[in-house]
Amino acid sequence: QIEKGVKMQKALALENLISNGIIQREETSMEKEMAGHHREYFHLGDVMYFAKKACEAVAEDEVTRRFSSEELLSWNLLSRTNANFHCVSWQVTVVWIIGILIRYCLLMPFRICLAFFSILLLVSATTVVGQFPNGSDDFPCRCRENRPRKGGICVANHTSPVDVLILASDGCYSLVGQVHGGLLGLIQKSCMQTTQHVLFERSEMKDRHLVRKREHIEDKTKLPILIFPEGTCVNNTSVMMFKKGSFEVGGTIHPVAIKYDPRFGDAFWNSTKYSMMTYTFNVMTSWAIVCNVWYLPPMVKEEEEDAVHFANRVKAVIAARGGMSILPWDGGLKRKKIKESFKEEQQKKYCQIVTENGSVGNGNVY
Amino acid sequence: GRQWQELPPGKRKKGERGSGFTSEQIEHLHRRFRQLSRDQLTIRKENFDSIPDLEFNPIRAKIVHAFFDKRNLRQESSGLADEINFEDFLTIMSYFRPIEMNMDEEQLDRFRKEKLKFLFHMYDSDHDGKITLQEYRNVVEELLSGNPHLEKESARSIADGAMMEAASICGPDQVYEGITFEDFLKMWQGIDIETKMHVRFLNMETIAHCY
Repeated sequence: QIEKGVKMQKALALENLISNGIIQREETSMEKEMAGHHREYFHLGDVMYFAKKACEAVAEDEVTRRFSSEELLSWNLLSRTNANFHCVSWQVTVVWIIGILIRYCLLMPFRICLAFFSILLLVSATTVVGQFPNGSDDFPCRCRENRPRKGGICVANHTSPVDVLILASDGCYSLVGQVHGGLLGLIQKSCMQTTQHVLFERSEMKDRHLVRKREHIEDKTKLPILIFPEGTCVNNTSVMMFKKGSFEVGGTIHPVAIKYDPRFGDAFWNSTKYSMMTYTFNVMTSWAIVCNVWYLPPMVKEEEEDAVHFANRVKAVIAARGGMSILPWDGGLKRKKIKESFKEEQQKKYCQIVTENGSVGNGNVY
Repeated sequence: GRQWQELPPGKRKKGERGSGFTSEQIEHLHRRFRQLSRDQLTIRKENFDSIPDLEFNPIRAKIVHAFFDKRNLRQESSGLADEINFEDFLTIMSYFRPIEMNMDEEQLDRFRKEKLKFLFHMYDSDHDGKITLQEYRNVVEELLSGNPHLEKESARSIADGAMMEAASICGPDQVYEGITFEDFLKMWQGIDIETKMHVRFLNMETIAHCY
């Protein structure tokens, strides 16, 4: 009994370490750190606080961590998730080799055949169906509590294109997404033949996009829109900033939380590192993709609430249900740099601390 | 895959001896280094642009500068290096190691001096071994907001005030000639920097569990 307890504790501690990364960040604010010094003038050591923060950022930053695959507490026998290979015993190595044989020689060929035929079927079927004139969009959907209804907007956290597959297999949606080329582009084009989707180019979003969305949801016969407000794939350990665009159009928001079980395979698509084909190959040679989907009660923007506040409210609900942490950062940081205004914020704050405690003016010297 | 390119054990030991990190911490820092350098062997100043958390730090420029400062890298010559390798990276990170329980007086003293030297180099931007009033002002201005009129004057008087305080500790000549490292040390007497200027690196071991 005691042994089990100790083991659990150790596991918990290790899990805490890993989820917090390599550095133990102390939760002191700028104010507390500065208060230690004489506060009548600027102190040489004030720079220490910022130097420390800078070193922490260089060693590890919260944002970049979210764009690489989650580090696992215990190895799931996929070589791509094991960085410290030298720690492993021969028994585990044997099991790993058997695992490779099963995954590459048994699971993968089966899955490739399945995928090939499915895509073939999809392309041909949608080409055929697309020829018919627009009929009624009444697909038989089972009515389960909290499932997104027509005319609503469904928002979820984003980890990979598989999210779409999972949700779409359980309901019918209109999709909003980045236009891709290659295999994914082909699938997108086929889907466009039969249902109304909104595809855009990331670099030229904004107003036109908003107008199209508004038109879509106002038409109550149209399918619910599925949107991923983070705007990019994140590694499923945290939920990043929800872009306010989807929360401005009005209508009912149906939040959905999607959490993958990392023990069976890594579902995160690192689009800057892997192409769709490489990603698909990785997925097919994993054990499985196991995922939990929670449909949450619908939410509506309140009278005095602004879009950003509403977005954060929805984000908090999704993160809480899925067991993920919340980050205020923009997923767009994957591709572009941070705004100058953030730097100025820090400087202003520091300036306030220094000047309100010191006497600033000509001739006053302490 | 990429994970197979491990740090060769010889290199790891050397780094360990020099910097005082454990081998697990070195592994992690090595991975971070590879991430920053995009799998090259060296890092340049531009590579620091890819760290979002660093962007809003007001003394970002000085910190990046510190990584390439040859005095911090313990090299004979002075000035700035164009690029640094992993060992240099570890050297700089080791300035932020926390104190350990088993350190004796002499080690503690050396430790403290090294950290203060690092800070000193950050202030002394022209590498002449002295902190002048102007260099001082530069640091204060960087820390304060970039608002043109108001803050420049506040920055000026705050810096002057602090220099006066320094003069009372080290002697008035220093205000004009500039503060040397010995004077700098005097100013820090009695102030605890060991617990303020450190980053707590965690000890991590990845073991394969079989449930």
